[in-house]
Amino acid sequence: MEIRKFILRRLVEIAIIFFVIMTILFVLFRIAPGDPVARMVDPMWTPEEVEHVMSQLGLDQPIWTQYLYYVKNFFTGNFGVSFHYGEPVENIIWNRLPNTILLFTTSTILAALAGVFFGKIAAWRKGRKSDTWMTISALVCHTLFVPWFALMLVWILGYKVGWFPLNGIISPEVWVNENTNFLVKALDVIHHMLLPLMTLFVVQVGSYLLLMRSSMLGTLKEDYIVTARAKGLTEKVVRNHHAARNAALPVITSIGLSLAFSINGGALTETVFTWPGIGKELVFAVGNNDYPLAQACFLLIAGVVLTANLIVDVLYAYLDPRIRY
Amino acid sequence: MSRLQVKRRTVAGWMGLLVGALLFSALISCHGDVPQRLLRVGLSEEPRTLNIWLASDANSRKILAQVYQPLYTRHPETLKLIPWLAAQDPVYDEENISYTIKLRHAKWADGSDFTADDVVFTGKIIEAFKIPRYSSKWRAIKKIETPDDHTVIFYLKKPTAVFLSRALTAPMVSRKEWETVAQEAKKQEKPLRSLQNYEISNPMGTGPFVVKDYKGGAYLHMVKNPHFFGSGNTIGGHLLGPYIDGILFKFYGTSDVAVLALKKGNIDMFWWGLQPGYLDDLQKTTDVQVFHNQKSALYYMGFNLRKPPFDDVVLRQAIATIIDKEFIISRILQGYGTVLHSVVPPGNTFWHNPQVPHYGDGLSHDQRLKLAYDMLKAAGYSWAEPPVDANDKVVKGRELRLPNGEPMQRFTILTPPADYDPRRAFAGLMIQEWLRDMGMPAFARPMAFSALLQQVKGKRDFDAFILGYGKLNLDPDYVGTFFYSKQDKERGWNMSGYRNKAFDKLRNKQRGEMDQDKRKELLWEMQRILLEDVPYIPLYNPNVLEAARMDRFSGWVEKVGGIGNIWSYCVVRPLEG
Repeated sequence: MEIRKFILRRLVEIAIIFFVIMTILFVLFRIAPGDPVARMVDPMWTPEEVEHVMSQLGLDQPIWTQYLYYVKNFFTGNFGVSFHYGEPVENIIWNRLPNTILLFTTSTILAALAGVFFGKIAAWRKGRKSDTWMTISALVCHTLFVPWFALMLVWILGYKVGWFPLNGIISPEVWVNENTNFLVKALDVIHHMLLPLMTLFVVQVGSYLLLMRSSMLGTLKEDYIVTARAKGLTEKVVRNHHAARNAALPVITSIGLSLAFSINGGALTETVFTWPGIGKELVFAVGNNDYPLAQACFLLIAGVVLTANLIVDVLYAYLDPRIRY
Repeated sequence: MSRLQVKRRTVAGWMGLLVGALLFSALISCHGDVPQRLLRVGLSEEPRTLNIWLASDANSRKILAQVYQPLYTRHPETLKLIPWLAAQDPVYDEENISYTIKLRHAKWADGSDFTADDVVFTGKIIEAFKIPRYSSKWRAIKKIETPDDHTVIFYLKKPTAVFLSRALTAPMVSRKEWETVAQEAKKQEKPLRSLQNYEISNPMGTGPFVVKDYKGGAYLHMVKNPHFFGSGNTIGGHLLGPYIDGILFKFYGTSDVAVLALKKGNIDMFWWGLQPGYLDDLQKTTDVQVFHNQKSALYYMGFNLRKPPFDDVVLRQAIATIIDKEFIISRILQGYGTVLHSVVPPGNTFWHNPQVPHYGDGLSHDQRLKLAYDMLKAAGYSWAEPPVDANDKVVKGRELRLPNGEPMQRFTILTPPADYDPRRAFAGLMIQEWLRDMGMPAFARPMAFSALLQQVKGKRDFDAFILGYGKLNLDPDYVGTFFYSKQDKERGWNMSGYRNKAFDKLRNKQRGEMDQDKRKELLWEMQRILLEDVPYIPLYNPNVLEAARMDRFSGWVEKVGGIGNIWSYCVVRPLEG
């Protein structure tokens, strides 16, 4: 019953926060420097033609009227039409989102699993050579400059060695061939995914490892670990069942939020690998003042992050018996 | 389980993985063979739309230029307007102020006839929806008549010199494709937006290619249009094909990866201007050829003439003298560009006036400073420490004072940021340093491009800026547009706020002058006036650098703007064998 009340209260809070974010987003885009039609127009358009386009986009309306339309449209499930694509923004987002989720969520999960596993071992072997190497490697991974690293992988593994495609999500040559069957197409996507996945994995794994290691080191000093050892439990049981499970709590929060933010994609990674995800679109929309597209992308991120927060809170209660709502 | 068993299992696991990977690669590569007659072209980004009425980004326009065709186009070498969908040159009737145009017996991609009715329909759609880019050019038309299916007569409201080059180079659309869409759009609250938002996946034109398949974010596949009117005909000195079965457009987020793809043979051409830094590497690559061609472009520094101190022509002329354009070409553009002295690029030979003032041309840095110092001193400017000392030696000047004795206030030169255009950003920095040598408190300030445009065109609140037009129309009517008094308004093209009645008069006169030679005289005079008054300092015209592989296709047509053009795609041929 208590948990139900808690969830209900949090849902109300989330709705209020979401509405505030919606309003802030609207205001931010309007006060941000830049002209929404400046990048759409041909140098030879006349001011009258520009004004005509502004009125067709509804940008000639007073800011309050625009805001009311924005709120009304949102509650009627209409996110507007992208200024540049001329397509409903939900179509653009739904076309791009699966690609982003496929790549970024997979990489986040893999990096988190590996980070937790190696972080646990590093903490357990604190001070030994393996700990030193793992910590240094994690720090190097954590501080890598993503575009540079991505380009290096493309150059070495894609160009020099030739194991992987240089970019994209599919090989057009494979897909335009009418004889290509589904299996080959699926394998082609996986083949294209490996290099960006490797990049993101390497870049992300370090932070999870360090987080898990630090959390685990704190947990290992707890009394219940001493008690577990005194009870004669094996080292493996103490490490995996008593220490790691408790140490994983802050990591779970981090993973939850990372998964939520993974729908945001990564503009730089997506650009280098020409991965048709949402990150690139988000940057494009912001840079070109494509209000409907930018607003919808940010609202989606806000919605997912708020929901992830709620899930993490509930998950905490499940993982840590001391937490009760 | 013994240690040996574990080892065996591990080895078997790795072997399995290796075999799997090999099979995996083999399976994909056998399906990825490239047909011999399929040209693969890299684009910097994917097209944002295939709707001709919305397309404003470079990549959409590149694709649609292969589909929708105009009545007249530019000859690739002479740059003169030549008939394209039209069968012959237009016949001008001075008395009725009309152009009679005979049309080719062309067909739309679905095999239906292209007729005069389609031309009328295109005109109507442009007029009814006030389609930006075209409506201002088609406004000159009073009425259109079609005596038969292949003749169109355009009656103009008044003689309009730019009618041919601006209105008749607009793409023609088919009534069949657009009529219902247009009717529906007209019923909507925002008709233009409804028309532009109409989703179109297979645009129908009369051009050499049609879109076969477009997978958003991945590729766009075009195939040869069997009904293309140019096939087998010699137009513009070229016997047109296409001689390829299709074009596969692939998208690359960065030039780095596109260049690797070109070197690796994943694409046959990268249709995007390369930075000079890539050239050395590409020139060393077997089978890759680098092309550099002129652009019809104008990169310039502009001033805000609406307020002091840049309302003073002597100050502007002195700045024009100080700027070392040769240095910008040799260092920033690494030699791949042309110095501009007039607002019409020299490549546009007919309209370019070579006799405009060439400020500081051929002078050294010190000579420029001395000359500018003399000009400013004669106009009443002074310095806390002059840039030329008592021994006539050039030193670092300090605190330039205006003729009224007040020190010149700090001013900013707005430039696009380096990630948008490094050349303009670095040119701004160089100019800042040269002006500081003269004692001017100049500060180059890179600014996000759309914010920069809003500041300069919208708010008109700035001191100076560096901007450019990368693709100017070859008809220099823009010279009038950029400096016409009536364009000095919010979002107007006269960003500097230049006002000169004599210039305005010439601008209006040239627009109605139908005699090319007389019009040329007027435009030369306009250029001379502008370069005397220097509201803009023309800086440079960069070359367009492109690269293509020569091991699969040959026959690229080089023209102003580069090898990526409809002529190339109509004549490029696969190599035998």
